[in-house]
Amino acid sequence: MSLLSIRNLHAYIGEREILKGVNLDVERGEVHSIMGPNGNGKSTLAGVIAGNPKYTVTEGEVIYNGKNILDMPVDVRASEGIFLGFQYPVEIPGVSITNFMRTAVNEQRKYRGLDPLGAAEFLRLMEEKKKIVEMTTKLANRSVNEGFSGGEKKKNEIFQMAMLEPTLAILDETDSGLDIDALRIVASGVNQLRRPDNATIVITHYQRLLDYIVPDFVHILYEGRIVKTGPKELALRLEHEGYDWIRHEIDQQ
Amino acid sequence: MDELIQQFGQLRQQLKKNEVWRNVDFGTVLTDSMRLPHADEGGKYSFHCRVPNIDSYCVITENGYCHQSLMETSEGIVYGSLRAAKEQRADLVALVMGRGSGSDNPYRRMNDAGYSDGVFIYVPQGCHPAKPLQLLSLHTAEASLFMQCRNAIYLGDGSDVTIIHCDDSTNQHTGMSNNVTEMVMGSNAVADYYKLQNINDNSGLLNHTYVTLAAGAHLLSVGITLNGGTIRNHSEVSMMGEGCDVEADGLYINDHIQQVDNYIYVDHLHPSCHSRALYKGILDDAAHATFNGHVMVREGAAKTEAYQTNRNILLTDKATVATKPFLEIYNDDVKCSHGSSIGQIDDDAMFYLRSRGISEKSARTLLLYAFCDEVVGRIRLEPLRQRLSDLIKQRLHGELVVCAECALACNSHCGCSDSEFTIDPTLL
Ligand SMILES: Nc1ncnc2c1ncn2[C@@H]1O[C@H](COP(=O)(O)OP(=O)(O)OP(=O)(O)O)[C@@H](O)[C@H]1O
Ligand SMILES: [Mg+2]
Repeated sequence: MSLLSIRNLHAYIGEREILKGVNLDVERGEVHSIMGPNGNGKSTLAGVIAGNPKYTVTEGEVIYNGKNILDMPVDVRASEGIFLGFQYPVEIPGVSITNFMRTAVNEQRKYRGLDPLGAAEFLRLMEEKKKIVEMTTKLANRSVNEGFSGGEKKKNEIFQMAMLEPTLAILDETDSGLDIDALRIVASGVNQLRRPDNATIVITHYQRLLDYIVPDFVHILYEGRIVKTGPKELALRLEHEGYDWIRHEIDQQ
Repeated sequence: MDELIQQFGQLRQQLKKNEVWRNVDFGTVLTDSMRLPHADEGGKYSFHCRVPNIDSYCVITENGYCHQSLMETSEGIVYGSLRAAKEQRADLVALVMGRGSGSDNPYRRMNDAGYSDGVFIYVPQGCHPAKPLQLLSLHTAEASLFMQCRNAIYLGDGSDVTIIHCDDSTNQHTGMSNNVTEMVMGSNAVADYYKLQNINDNSGLLNHTYVTLAAGAHLLSVGITLNGGTIRNHSEVSMMGEGCDVEADGLYINDHIQQVDNYIYVDHLHPSCHSRALYKGILDDAAHATFNGHVMVREGAAKTEAYQTNRNILLTDKATVATKPFLEIYNDDVKCSHGSSIGQIDDDAMFYLRSRGISEKSARTLLLYAFCDEVVGRIRLEPLRQRLSDLIKQRLHGELVVCAECALACNSHCGCSDSEFTIDPTLL
């Protein structure tokens, strides 16, 4: 059974249909990359899987770990192991990363029937995970994303992923805004978090990231549908030729 | 109904056209069974503030009367019943009362004519008391009461004082308080004045605060309204010399059909004074809040800096806010700004928190708590800040009730259990 299986997914934002019949299967242990021109629905797909209430699903199903998750509240999906790395992480003044993560970790543990982590244990966990993305202590004591640079925000997303150890991570343009060193750090963080029983979906515009996080499949999301799936070399071709040839192929069909 | 109470009820008619007072309506609070307190009901209440690490000079006013004799500490601080102080230390009382600070209004005049008792505090020049001073006004009588307290506080030149002032109900009887606090600050005096209000849903509180600051004085005032049926905080602050600094912040959390009305008038009469007011509120159910801020910058007050902000979160369609920050400026050499906002909980922030596995309820509390924290964070007395953080968490969880003691002293037996939700950054 696939970890994630999406069938004929249609989703709206307001009156506008963004996803127009998406099909996708992801197995445990795999890395999938989703590419596609701006505004074609990549973030929408990620948001629908994570459960953002601003989208309305009108047709289709999303089966995760054997469960239809479309009726599950956002936080339950997270506790079931779904993680979304935001393209635009939200600034939350007044909430420190530490409190935010402590609440998140302990609520997820509660969901799984585990005891909450005490302060000392939690701090130890945080120190350990901070190393994965080479995050400084100063950052961790600040309000969530408030005043963070673009790159710091993205690092913070991967730090949260490391804290929560998801089964399915969807990383929406985690590479955008990162300098060359940060890109390497973030990619290596993601790789360290890979396990045979989890899976990663990376949404990106650039082949560069895929040199570090090597995908098993590359999908092209075009006008609300996955129109093409191929091996990692597909990303290379997109890098060189852009999306015109895809448009061509579709027009001819 | 006693004639005095009736008279109070009628003031609203007289003030219908008064810009500053027309919103104030205690009509629903006054009841037929309401009466004036007797001097002897009370005095049995023994108070021990349970906020860890706060040891204070404490004066309690119970049902409008203070039963503590006048005390004098080794540092020369004089504190206790105002009635007693008027008899024994009329010289000190005269430093505050009758100096005519702030504006006149009919409610204040009623208090002038008919206050029962209250608290007097005198802090001598240069004194830095080791402990905070605590004023506690309690309604403990098993009766519906109309109370008028008068508090007078004198802070000598260069003194540096922390004052905690709490208004609490300890039962569900309706109370109406028309309390006046006058505070005179000498030159370069520093006061951290923390005001906490937790009265029951039936009760009303009209809380007048008139403060004058001499040159170089610094006032930090943080007022927190945790609960109350109808509350009006009427504050007037006058800076009577150069180089004064006023930070006046407020936080109100109201639900049901509670009404809270904050009025603050800050008068800049002299050059180089600085004032800032930040009021924030969360309104649930059909609660209603009013904010009226007025900064007056007079002709001679060059190099004034004055800022005023009011921010509100409405949790329902029925909750309402009327906000009116207002600057009145009569010279050019000033930096002033004012602003207000009324909003809801941010959907994106909510989704972000929940996408990490945080339940809707906790995410909401986290966001609301963060909103409050900007005001609570101004409190410089650490144990008090901690305690208020906890109380606010409880309040946001809907757990805080009016209990048999004041909110600060309250512990778990009355339903104010410590929240399981630990979000205190200082512990981590
Ligand atoms: N609130 C909204 N109202 C209307 N349309 C919206 C709204 N939010 C997003 N859209 C539209 O939905 C479409 C899909 O957006 P989405 O963010 O999924 O694109 P994307 O593929 O992630 O693009 P990018 O590569 O630029 O991140 C876009 O055309 C966008 O303008
Ligand atoms: Mg996108």
